[in-house]
Amino acid sequence: MDPSEVEFLAEKEMVTIISNFSLDKMYLIGGDLGPFNPGLPVNVPLWLALNLKQRQKCRIVPPEWMDVEKLEEIREQERKEETFTPIPNPHYMELTKLLLNHASDNIPKADEIRTLVKDIWDTRVAKLRLSADSFISQLEAHAKLDNLTLMEINTTRTFLLDSLNSMYKLRASLQPQPAAKGHHY
Amino acid sequence: MADAFSEASDRSEDDSQDVMTPAELIAKLEQAWLNEKFSPELMESKSEIVECVMEQLTHMEGNLQRVRKGDIKASIHRMEIDRIRFVLSSYLRSRLRKIEKYFPHILEKEKSRAEGDPSFLSPEEFAFAKEYLANTESYLKTVALRHMPPNLQTVDMLKAVPKPCLDSFVFLRVHERQENILVEPETDEQREYAIDLEEGSQHLMRYSTIAPLVASGAVQLI
Amino acid sequence: MEKQSYMPVPPGVGMEENFLSLDDILLSHEKLPCTTETAFPRLGFLEKSSDARDIPEGVKMEMPLWLVKGLYEHKRRTLSVQLPKVYRQGWRTVFGADPTVVDLHKMGPYYYGLGSQLLHFDSPENTEIAQTVLQTFIGRFRRTMDSSQNAYNEDTSLLVERLDGLERALFQAGQSGLNDFQRWEKGHSSHLTASSLVLNYRKRKITEVQE
Repeated sequence: MDPSEVEFLAEKEMVTIISNFSLDKMYLIGGDLGPFNPGLPVNVPLWLALNLKQRQKCRIVPPEWMDVEKLEEIREQERKEETFTPIPNPHYMELTKLLLNHASDNIPKADEIRTLVKDIWDTRVAKLRLSADSFISQLEAHAKLDNLTLMEINTTRTFLLDSLNSMYKLRASLQPQPAAKGHHY
Repeated sequence: MADAFSEASDRSEDDSQDVMTPAELIAKLEQAWLNEKFSPELMESKSEIVECVMEQLTHMEGNLQRVRKGDIKASIHRMEIDRIRFVLSSYLRSRLRKIEKYFPHILEKEKSRAEGDPSFLSPEEFAFAKEYLANTESYLKTVALRHMPPNLQTVDMLKAVPKPCLDSFVFLRVHERQENILVEPETDEQREYAIDLEEGSQHLMRYSTIAPLVASGAVQLI
Repeated sequence: MEKQSYMPVPPGVGMEENFLSLDDILLSHEKLPCTTETAFPRLGFLEKSSDARDIPEGVKMEMPLWLVKGLYEHKRRTLSVQLPKVYRQGWRTVFGADPTVVDLHKMGPYYYGLGSQLLHFDSPENTEIAQTVLQTFIGRFRRTMDSSQNAYNEDTSLLVERLDGLERALFQAGQSGLNDFQRWEKGHSSHLTASSLVLNYRKRKITEVQE
């Protein structure tokens, strides 16, 4: 999967915006939206929030977790634990990138947040590689991967799955062979 | 103005009970899209979902015809339509790609399908697969096979084209709790063991172990 | 988004072979040391070291894998297959000690593929060969993974130099996963670019005009 497709899925996440226009309730195929009133918060999918922001029709309220203190806590937790800690949003990486790139003026301490999220990401991806290696070397048949996000899975998907499949086929040759076809001595 | 767009959601509410809302329909399409992207084999065709989504899109686009350009509401609807269209075509494209990759095996499966069983292919996909096979065969014949000795002029496509590997590992998320899923051992020293799949949990395991659960929608490939 | 417009056939890996895979076709040309167990009349031209018309019984010669497989499956035993040295006891000990030090490109480049294909020939050492091939893959996995996931925007030719063909393919898969992510992170994945074919075509046009 291309990362932009993972981003596409992240764009469905709901965020709060404060619009500067009014509009009646809308009936989209995917659900109802609005009504929009100037100065009042309303929840919309991220794809719409970003579009309205680019047209200067709204201000985006950063998600609760996109906050220096909270992220510092998460980063410490992530570094302390061996397993993947629960992350506040399954699309934290994509949301951070999109919001910081398109609405950084609405997000206090944007640069610090960018660094923190990157730190959390790096710690988690390092863990992912460690578990991939032990999964392979222990010849495991099943792994539980709670809290791992789609973007994290996606960076190593092809590599890990191809490796596992190659290994499976090499291992299959270890099994006793069915009586070789066409041999008559 | 509002009325022109309200129809889409109103209509489904007073339809028969087991009909999905448009939002559920889109969720189903996205589910099918991801499953198709990540499963090693071709999944059952979701022609019904595709048709319903197309109907929704056509209906919405019809409504938009009557709206003047530059209207903010219309632009939001257009964006949503574009997003749904993207998923729809990506879904259909990943199916076509699999058909091109496994065509002899897919056609073989289709041949051996029992009367009354649902087809894995939509009628259009079936036509595509047959044409793809015919084209591949005639291409191989033209460039190589006809220059070969007479006893070597055929290629068994079922043998020449690799089969989908159902033992591939996949990532999945559980929608409905499952008990006692047997995990086959990887080595002779290991024993077979059973696991429970809790709702919302994520796993890495062989596709063959959980293929029926993907088909039924109890788990989602990710 | 999808960069590949056609479907390359991957190698079969293990004892399987994919008929239309370029890698497997190259693999099938790897040479195996054999001894003839019967005379091959009028095939002397295959044996470069002598001018004889026939190949007599008991001659040691090298044959490509595809030919050996074909002859071996024949009803009557016509030849026996010896193990190439990299699969013999001595080298298996080296692999057992530290698989990461071996230059599998030089020793291969189809170490895993050929190793698995050898299992077709009923060697008494089959179990050990299969075991070593698998353990070597596992033992080298971490290195393949780390180098493929850490190298960004650098010349990777040194990193893949000592990798077997299968490992190279995995290295590339790892690299493209990493590169796709980095490109997305930097915001480049949303830009459409003209294909190099189009660009080169334009360049050629310009030079033609200038001449």
